[in-house]
Amino acid sequence: MGKVIVITSGKGGVGKTTSTANLGTALAMIGKTVVMVDADVGLRNLDVVMGLESRVVYTSMDVFEKRCELYKALVKDRRVEDLMLLAASQRNRKDDIKPEQMQEVCEKLKQEYDFVLVDSPAGIEQGFRNAAAGADEAIIITTPDLSAIRDADRIIGLLQNQEIQPINLVLNRLSPALVKKGNMISKNDVLDFLNIDLLGVVPEDTGVIASTNRGIPLVHNAGSQGAEAYMRIARRMTGQRVPIPEMREENFFSHVANWFSRNK
Amino acid sequence: MDFRSLFTRKSKSSEIATQRLQLILTQDRFEVGEDSMKKLQFELTEVLAKYFEFTMNSVKMSLKREGNSYVLMADFPFNQSKKNR
Ligand SMILES: Nc1ncnc2c1ncn2[C@@H]1O[C@H](COP(=O)(O)OP(=O)(O)OP(=O)(O)O)[C@@H](O)[C@H]1O
Ligand SMILES: [Mg+2]
Repeated sequence: MGKVIVITSGKGGVGKTTSTANLGTALAMIGKTVVMVDADVGLRNLDVVMGLESRVVYTSMDVFEKRCELYKALVKDRRVEDLMLLAASQRNRKDDIKPEQMQEVCEKLKQEYDFVLVDSPAGIEQGFRNAAAGADEAIIITTPDLSAIRDADRIIGLLQNQEIQPINLVLNRLSPALVKKGNMISKNDVLDFLNIDLLGVVPEDTGVIASTNRGIPLVHNAGSQGAEAYMRIARRMTGQRVPIPEMREENFFSHVANWFSRNK
Repeated sequence: MDFRSLFTRKSKSSEIATQRLQLILTQDRFEVGEDSMKKLQFELTEVLAKYFEFTMNSVKMSLKREGNSYVLMADFPFNQSKKNR
């Protein structure tokens, strides 16, 4: 029996969808069976980030309303074995779905798959509540800025009330150079404020944009800092003990190395 | 907050951010306004002032998350105990 993990943040645009796509792919690459559920009804994006938009025929709405069987609505990834996507309906609104419907689907999926990753919408309303409804655990995504951390704090409180456990943190878009200059809140300060366990740190990586353009998650581009960070987080999610390295600063050599790995 | 610190070159923007965040999170977690927090701080200070001597504006209070609950952290740096004088 697998587990359902909701990937959420409170604030929008901090990297939930990017993280869901990369962690789902990374987990499947290391041999786990994975379903990614897009819970951002009306504003779905996970299919696009995964490059699967042309393969989506049914959505979770069709499953909830019994127009389609669950297994038939799952879209197979183009590149990695045992990686599936359940897309969100683009024509519906977030309050068209009831938490119980989401819960039932998650319950079924975790019987068959090792990991069910739910990409939550931003906010603390119905959409978020639906996304969290079937979750056993949570991953909070935050960036090192005031409003993202504040919203993360709020979300952690809400999840704790629902007895979702553990709640782990992924710090996204950290820029070691900015921290060093004193223009970005440091990893340790973020941890001090939120005081939940750190699952990993993902650096600011320009490769993310290119990978979204192509519809190929960053982790396929082995060697880039972002890809390495997501691979380490995925291993930690499977229970392996992988140390969290201090981020190295981007320098001339890493830029050259990145340039080569990106233009392969 | 020391207003001048906003403009002197010494204080980094990340330091200002963490100071502001400390206050914001404490208010959010208390689920009460800044007024009530100030009032609590004032009343606690009044009680402690019976026993210790300290400067009012050096007092700092915050709520820290510990597992599923919060711990009230309060710094009351005192100069000396009154009875030792
Ligand atoms: N580590 C990173 N480095 C650089 N850019 C990033 C990184 N992570 C995310 N981004 C960029 O930030 C933007 C928002 O990312 P994403 O869509 O994953 O956020 P989200 O939390 O899912 O947003 P929403 O709340 O709208 O669902 C995207 O343009 C993405 O390319
Ligand atoms: Mg998203």
